[in-house]
Amino acid sequence: MTDPEFELIDRILAGNQAVYAELVDRHKSYAFTIAYKILENRSEAEEAAQDAFIKAYHHLKNFKRDAKFSTWLYRIVFNTAVSYKRKHKVKFQDIETTVVEYGQEAEGILERSDKKKYIQQAMNKLNEADKLAISLFYLEEFSLEEIAEITGMQANTIKARVHRARQRLAEELTILLKKEALTL
Amino acid sequence: MKNISKQQEDNLIAYLDGTLTPAAKERVEQELANSPALQQRLVALQNVTQVLKSTTLEQPSKNFTQRVMNGLDQYPLRSGLSLKNGILLLVGVMIAVGIGAFLLSAGVFDSTGAIDLNNMGLQNKYIKESLPTIPVNGKLIMNIIIMLNIALAFLVLDRAILKPWFERRTRMNF
Repeated sequence: MTDPEFELIDRILAGNQAVYAELVDRHKSYAFTIAYKILENRSEAEEAAQDAFIKAYHHLKNFKRDAKFSTWLYRIVFNTAVSYKRKHKVKFQDIETTVVEYGQEAEGILERSDKKKYIQQAMNKLNEADKLAISLFYLEEFSLEEIAEITGMQANTIKARVHRARQRLAEELTILLKKEALTL
Repeated sequence: MKNISKQQEDNLIAYLDGTLTPAAKERVEQELANSPALQQRLVALQNVTQVLKSTTLEQPSKNFTQRVMNGLDQYPLRSGLSLKNGILLLVGVMIAVGIGAFLLSAGVFDSTGAIDLNNMGLQNKYIKESLPTIPVNGKLIMNIIIMLNIALAFLVLDRAILKPWFERRTRMNF
């Protein structure tokens, strides 16, 4: 397998540490997004993603090159974020992801502009694996096989999880729409 | 919604994804025309798909790359003492210092002792000549131990508590 990034990796392995900044710049958004989807906290996600990049740098010589560098890197990000989640048990939530219980809002429960916010709330009700699978799937950067590689799950399992997550989200949204109708 | 079967749900998703055969698509459309519940679920699924497709990448802080590059040479020092263990170690060290200082001020180590090497049984076996007696100043030794503990306490305070705390604060203010 040839990846245009292999050349950069060769230069880094030859001792040119500064070149790694280029790889970090290329992948930091996806790495941070993956960590953020798992940890739901910007500060923790930033720390986990940085740690993952540092780990990847120090294990670069072990990268087998039978997959894309990005897939290998995001797997490290995924594992680091999961281990952060277990270790730190994320103590606080960002305001934008704080779950607001139904009925807690003052009025007009579901306006069209709130759709995104309510789907985000519904997302928070999904289990971790389903949430991550659906988030990565819709970033449209990753194929099912790549998501499977990153998360260590089977591609079929990912497919089933995405399918189930969509159904659950739609179900949650239907309940919200019903509640809205009742308040009108 | 109880009156929608799993098969109908699956069909709705396949309908939205455009993966149904023309005949299956027509069947789903007929079902939709006759079922307000299915129509409602289709709208919900459309909304979900639309919002998920608009998912954007999260951006890390501006100095993210710089922080990674700065951390490259610190590995694996970063994975040292956790905050909890750091606090526990600091408390332990401070208790040891406190006990030492208390015993010192109580005069427990005031008397100067001595180690007589002649009583250690070495003289008869290996050495024929008389060995010296080494004076031991308990107060001095205790003072050194307390000073070392205080230095350790400062080190733990800095590495395991203050540094991670300030790093976290900086990250939260990016």
